[in-house]
Amino acid sequence: MTAPIETTGVAREAHPEAIADAAGARIEGRSLGQIAWARFRRDRVAMAGGVVIIFMVLVAIFAPLITDVIGGGPTEYHDDLLDPVLNIPTGSFGGASWDHPLGLEPVNGRDIFSRICYGARISMLVAFLATLLSVVLGVVLGTVAGYFGGWVDGLISRAMDVFLAFPLLLFAIAIGSSLQGEAFGLHGDTLRITVLIFVIGFFSWPYIARIVRGQTLSLREREFVEAARSLGATDRHIIFKELLPNLVGPILVYSTLLIPTNILFEAALSYLGVGVQEPTASWGGMLSAATPRYQDAPMFMVVPGVTIFITVLAFNLLGDGLRDALDPRSR
Amino acid sequence: MIFYLLRRLAGAVVLLLIVTMAVFAIFFLIPRLGGATSDQLAARYVGKSPTPAAIEQVKHSLGLDKSVPVQYGRFVKGIVAGKDYDTGVRKVHCAPPCLGFSFRNNLEVWPRLQDRIPVTLSLAAGAAVIWLLAGVSIGVISALKRGSLWDRFSMGFALAGVSLPPFFTGLVALALFSYQWPIFKGVHYVPFLDNPASWAWNLVLPWLTLAFLYAALYARLTRAGMLETMSEDYIRTARAKGLRERDVIVKHGLRAALTPILTIFGMDVGLLLGGAILTEQVYSLNGVGKFAVEAIGQQDLPEVLGVTMIAAIFVILANLVVDLLYAVVDPRVRT
Amino acid sequence: MKHPVTRRRRTQALIGMVAVTAMAATACGGGGGGSKKYSPSNKAITEVVNQSTKKGGTLKLVSSDKFDSLDPGDMYYASAWNFSRLMARPLLTFKPAPGNASYEFAPDLATDVGKTDDGGKTWTYHLRKGVKYEDGTEVKASDVKYAVERTFDKEILPNGPGYFAQYLDPDGTYKGPYKDSAPDKLGLNAIETPDDYTIVFKMKEPFADFNYLAALPQTAPVPPAKDTGKEYVKHPIASGAYMVDGQYEPGKAVNLVRNPNWDQATDPLRKALPDRIELLEKQDANDVDNRLFAGTAQLDVVGTGVQAAAQNKILTDKKLADNADDAISGALAYLAVSSKTPPFDNVHCRRAVQYAVNKSQLQRAQGGEVGSDIATNLMPPTLAGSKVTDMYPNGAKHTGDVAKAKDELKQCGKADGFSTVLTARANRPKEVAGATSVQNALAKVGIKVEIRQYPSGDYFSQFAGVPKWVAENKVGIMFMQWGPDFPTQFGFFQQIVDGRAIKPAGGTNLSELNDPAVNGLIDQATRTIDPAQSAAIWQQLDQKVMESAVIVPFGWTKSLLYRPSNVTNLVVTPAYSGMYDYLNIGIQ
Repeated sequence: MTAPIETTGVAREAHPEAIADAAGARIEGRSLGQIAWARFRRDRVAMAGGVVIIFMVLVAIFAPLITDVIGGGPTEYHDDLLDPVLNIPTGSFGGASWDHPLGLEPVNGRDIFSRICYGARISMLVAFLATLLSVVLGVVLGTVAGYFGGWVDGLISRAMDVFLAFPLLLFAIAIGSSLQGEAFGLHGDTLRITVLIFVIGFFSWPYIARIVRGQTLSLREREFVEAARSLGATDRHIIFKELLPNLVGPILVYSTLLIPTNILFEAALSYLGVGVQEPTASWGGMLSAATPRYQDAPMFMVVPGVTIFITVLAFNLLGDGLRDALDPRSR
Repeated sequence: MIFYLLRRLAGAVVLLLIVTMAVFAIFFLIPRLGGATSDQLAARYVGKSPTPAAIEQVKHSLGLDKSVPVQYGRFVKGIVAGKDYDTGVRKVHCAPPCLGFSFRNNLEVWPRLQDRIPVTLSLAAGAAVIWLLAGVSIGVISALKRGSLWDRFSMGFALAGVSLPPFFTGLVALALFSYQWPIFKGVHYVPFLDNPASWAWNLVLPWLTLAFLYAALYARLTRAGMLETMSEDYIRTARAKGLRERDVIVKHGLRAALTPILTIFGMDVGLLLGGAILTEQVYSLNGVGKFAVEAIGQQDLPEVLGVTMIAAIFVILANLVVDLLYAVVDPRVRT
Repeated sequence: MKHPVTRRRRTQALIGMVAVTAMAATACGGGGGGSKKYSPSNKAITEVVNQSTKKGGTLKLVSSDKFDSLDPGDMYYASAWNFSRLMARPLLTFKPAPGNASYEFAPDLATDVGKTDDGGKTWTYHLRKGVKYEDGTEVKASDVKYAVERTFDKEILPNGPGYFAQYLDPDGTYKGPYKDSAPDKLGLNAIETPDDYTIVFKMKEPFADFNYLAALPQTAPVPPAKDTGKEYVKHPIASGAYMVDGQYEPGKAVNLVRNPNWDQATDPLRKALPDRIELLEKQDANDVDNRLFAGTAQLDVVGTGVQAAAQNKILTDKKLADNADDAISGALAYLAVSSKTPPFDNVHCRRAVQYAVNKSQLQRAQGGEVGSDIATNLMPPTLAGSKVTDMYPNGAKHTGDVAKAKDELKQCGKADGFSTVLTARANRPKEVAGATSVQNALAKVGIKVEIRQYPSGDYFSQFAGVPKWVAENKVGIMFMQWGPDFPTQFGFFQQIVDGRAIKPAGGTNLSELNDPAVNGLIDQATRTIDPAQSAAIWQQLDQKVMESAVIVPFGWTKSLLYRPSNVTNLVVTPAYSGMYDYLNIGIQ
């Protein structure tokens, strides 16, 4: 398995077999979840990652309230604070002040802090929904392929091969840019966000499906499944009651590790101009706008870059922590 | 063995067909589903002031008035048998593999693409060497010295590496090492044969930017793989036999840990040859990736088709090489 | 055994964070406004800088873009028109001189400007004798006719302007030489070549500005035997002082060497100083500026000025500012307000926009004071007879007059405001930045604006230039920038305000203004021979359009150009959008 794009490939790192083993093994007294939680709670770095994520999610949700207090609206101009000739903020660190803690954009003087807060909405929305989409697709197709085997498995496995051989970023840009203007009765940001979610989600499902398929294949032969089958349980019952509960661990870890990949994917697409459009703020879009100004307005580029970094790092720490908690062997 | 090879090749061709069909679908079906007519599609390629007559002409000459399967058939035929092209004065034969003619530039796609390949090749090859050497050695040392200061430090860096978008790393690198301290001034591509030293000097920042990401990834992977291998029973057996620790690590541990890494390496290099889009974009390197972004921006279907074909071919070739190497090493997979 | 997992990863995270933050903070160190500023010297706007007749050397040119074509019959970029004259000689060209002198015709392949004796229907040009192509054959009048014929075929050569087909063959009966059944491919009846040195253009209607068409690169001769159609771009046959060395590689490079058969005796215009001219295309824009500063490249061929970062370096460094020119490009940046989409079919709603916009912000979006001058009427100050007027004063710094705008809205019957759609070109950051400013400014008076962005390549052919599309999508305001194809008032106005210039697709009269009074003034002005009188009519037309408020002008654009000190004979030519004239540049 390999990373979808140049951006990152954290997702490929989990050790699904190990996690599933841990998930499958029943230890007397405490449930798996309790053990994992106890272990996770001791992992303060992962907890810190979790806190950062919760903070970012809250920022995204309450962006309008926060920016009412600090910074002002994300599209509000503060051009009176710019140098009249040079078009860049006066003062060092991009014109940072108490009113505008992260400085101002060149040219129009919009508040960078405010745009970061609103950009979090796009990043989080796209990353979470795209991950949800790929997890749903991946789990359904992976379980079906692994459980039923035969030609169904062959077909789905071939499809996964095809997806993995695709130059994905290239395809994603192609789709994004061929759907400009209006399509499917949608237009503007609604269309673009929908396209982003579907493109990213649709291209990431094989990573989940591979894991789930592998797990299902091995679980299928386990004694407890055999037992259920010999008692006359239906396929439905086996899949939902016997297999899926044992897959929750790896799916959880994998989803957590897929979210940062998807945040980077969204940022990359926005950077390349197929994300949401002005005046809507997105982190990748901000970096793209800042690229030609890195010499005279470095703050403009550093802030969204560091924000992406911190968010992605937090998700990676959380994912690592979850994996460690669910699989004591993988340190 | 020959049968296995043929089967893999056939699989690769099928894969290519599917990839090109998908590109076709994206460019022909998706805009139409979104409501564009073939007149609107043709109007894109007529120049500044399209008259209805000119649109009609272009629609015909680009084949947009034909059905999608016919257009796709023509494209495939062009690759296999080449195709003729009307310059106005005479018919020019575009020899196979003819990827067609750009709608916007009026030029053959393939020679223009050929110009770009060395750039991406230089970028990807250099970066691959760096990240493989750096990533694997860091990973191995970290695994062997688990918990040491080195391990913590390098894994910290690796964690940063996988969490940073390359277009940001690239920008910071430019800001620091090209602008603030102008060590690598004015990064641009110089052909290797023109001046090897200048070629390498100009590529240092792009190489490091691209390699940073992957080195981080490979370091983490190698470390995890090494840790897992070194706890296997046969390593314990080898140690128990009294083999020197060095031999245990190199002959037994490393070999087993590196096999999956090489598979991924093959895939990654293949994907990169199809365009290190973000890195080329940041450094304005006119490689395959930038070509693709420009072609897509102009909605120039033949160019997009051509570049996706090339990109897919690289991935498939890389996979094929990895598979064949496996088949050579491990006869069990030849089924 | 207890693994030190927590501590290990805490250190990891810390190291990662510290490393990245440190790098980022270092990058942030610089920057900040407030330093001492200098104005560009603008020397090359009023005189030819570094005059020299020293021959030899290699001129190194760079471009952050690429030409639309190098085939003189297939190009529309002003930079390509300017550059093409190094290799190809059109009938006429413009004088390589500063200021308004550059608007004067200089006969190039022709011996004199065109003459008409029937009020502008028939135009005759005589060719110089002894002008030779790079292969030594002599240029004939029929080659010019053939070159003009080629521009009729939009399928083979789609990029160039279509004026010749429009005026010489308004019914569209001639399909171009490639589909011509005549054996010599010279079947167009509207052009006659009575002998090898005379060419006569015949039209049904008079056209006073025909000499401007003769100055298009499309009149540069093409020998029919050497024409390769679509492939001619790779090696156009030279009639000028330089020829393509080998082949042009579009988007990569072209090298020019001396044309051995070019004869100075036949050419009073060209100095032909450098031995070799090398052009690299598709270079990184910031790198292009740095190479100009270092003098390792002599010229940015695109000619639209330096990037924002370099602009600020010039404005804060006296040495750089001394070598910089802030040239007026002759283009107008404006908002086209639809005269059809409700409620903008009411003039008062359009006037509300005139008062509401913040032109100071729009100027910033254009790159600040060096990027454009704030415009309050249409005609750029570079055109003869132009007078700056302000019919809709909206504050000392043009930041908008909310009260007056609301008053107009009340008169329009929309006191509570309304919603509308605004279009801009996605790949033009200046327009996008402007669009958000307009959105904010109009929100203040109660007009809710939705911004939609489209790729510039399709803007006129599929979106803003298609009246049907504009109506269906209820588009009220469209971003637009107009630089005329030739520097006359007719060239400036006709395409953007004449009701007869409205086309089903690809038009540039985006407001769809079709006012008989305006159309009448255009006709009257084109019939008026006396320059002073016609200038007064154009002035009146400008006011008329402003009264109708379908155009909200906000910027006469400028480009900040940089000239390295080792380049000779540099002069800004308003005739080619205010870039340097490329004809006689040399290197010290």
